[in-house]
Amino acid sequence: MYNSQLTMNHYAGVTAGSVRKPSPLFREVSTIWAIFCREISVAFKSPSTLAMSFAMPVIMMGMVGGNLTQNMAGGLGFDFGLFMLIGMMINMLFMSTSQGVATLVDDHEDNFSEEMLIAPVSRYSIVIGKICGSAFSAVVTMLGTLLVGLFMGITLSVGQFLAILALSPLICLSAGAMAMLFIGIIKNRKAANMAVMLVTMPQMFLSGAIIPITNTSGILMVVSRLLPMTYSLDLTRAVIYAGTPEYGSIVMFSPLVSVMATVAITVVFLTVGTFFYAKSEKDR
Amino acid sequence: MRVIEVNELVKQYKGAKSPSVDGVSFSVEQGEFFAFLGPNGAGKTTTISILTTTLSKTSGEVRIAGLDVDRDARKVREHIGIISQKPSLDKSLTAEENIRFHAALYGLYGYRPSFALMPKAYKEQVTQLAEIVGISDALFTPIKKQSGGMQRKLEIIRSLIHTPDVLFLDEPTQGLDAVSRRMLWDYINEVRNRYGTTVFLTTHYIDEAENVDKVCIINHGRIAFCAAPDEMKRQIAFDPTPRVCLPSLEDAYVKFLQLNEEVA
Repeated sequence: MYNSQLTMNHYAGVTAGSVRKPSPLFREVSTIWAIFCREISVAFKSPSTLAMSFAMPVIMMGMVGGNLTQNMAGGLGFDFGLFMLIGMMINMLFMSTSQGVATLVDDHEDNFSEEMLIAPVSRYSIVIGKICGSAFSAVVTMLGTLLVGLFMGITLSVGQFLAILALSPLICLSAGAMAMLFIGIIKNRKAANMAVMLVTMPQMFLSGAIIPITNTSGILMVVSRLLPMTYSLDLTRAVIYAGTPEYGSIVMFSPLVSVMATVAITVVFLTVGTFFYAKSEKDR
Repeated sequence: MRVIEVNELVKQYKGAKSPSVDGVSFSVEQGEFFAFLGPNGAGKTTTISILTTTLSKTSGEVRIAGLDVDRDARKVREHIGIISQKPSLDKSLTAEENIRFHAALYGLYGYRPSFALMPKAYKEQVTQLAEIVGISDALFTPIKKQSGGMQRKLEIIRSLIHTPDVLFLDEPTQGLDAVSRRMLWDYINEVRNRYGTTVFLTTHYIDEAENVDKVCIINHGRIAFCAAPDEMKRQIAFDPTPRVCLPSLEDAYVKFLQLNEEVA
């Protein structure tokens, strides 16, 4: 039953706590961190999400990648296995992050988004927290891809692996920003999942994840240059292949161009996507 | 001091033929217990959504704690707490994890990965609050395994943990049993009396609004009546026979709506 004495004690505590007014910066950082932790917690509590994290690398790298390696490796002038492993790792980062960000629509349908939107924090903090949390699952999936690659006999050096790991925050941010661009205006779970698939699947082929696009021309070339993963992949390969004879036949742009393009696309997509996300939640 | 000021508020949803809220004006004083009553679809939740900055208005002016809900939305959100009609809990988390998440969003405590790692003050506060509303046993149980009543109690804790100046309660006791309802009202009244929290209530249990300071009835998107409860009873359902003077608020409310519908 209701206990008046407890109420008094509680409010003594609350008053003491509420004396410290949190600074806006602390609140924003706290929000990003809390959403990041929540995403990880939810991922660990969802057996289906965990199963997908392990199944995706097996399907994408083991089956799709394995088949491509066996049938396309000849005559390219470089090690197709390594080329594809890097492509699949970055693709996994993109796919998993996008799928994670798409759960903003689930939060909307479950009304949990109201809890976040009613808090006195920036919508950018909410979105960035969501992207960071999704990035955690994405990195796990990327590590799964690496393990499947090792099983297939495709190896990365420790230095190459650390380089990819170092680039992964930028890549995940870019993937999350791209997802926000269309998630921002979708308020239906089914439509959001479909939109993610419609963007990530063609991107896998058009951005050079598993098939070289150095000779792509026409409309396909234009589309490939509009996809953020094209620059993320090219940047990663520029770092991995730096100083090797294959560099010229694999890497399309200078690393500086790829970094600038990735940052520009990320900033624009994140700004526009978050704007529409906030607007569509409020303007009904 | 007026903590809520609403002037000529209009909201017409996209694609709707007529406004859901049509020129509504009212004000709520600081510390007041205010009831916003009306039948289903009258515009109560729409109004609350605008007041809590989660829905844009079509026109009009709304100020909370002197701040414009459009221009100063984030600052307005610092002053408010809400228990909405539809629970806004993360069902995959436990009750405590939901509270911890909320506390972090409001910057009260930095989020730490487990309850054990949280500061002592947080742990004491949550434990005591859980005891007050009777969810101690369910504090570490996932929300999806809890009853609607337990979820409602958790929402009450969560909405009060950052000590808002204005607490919006949108049908807060929907789905609760009589004992839980009584317990929660005792608690909310204690909070209000002790800390001067302004309470903005919508409910279909009219008896819950019996002791409010002011009641406004909204019908078809318009304010139909706005006064102190006793004033409403006198004007609408006063019975001059010697032994029966003032009816209950519910009687007055029902009679008012019936008269209103007859006129319409």
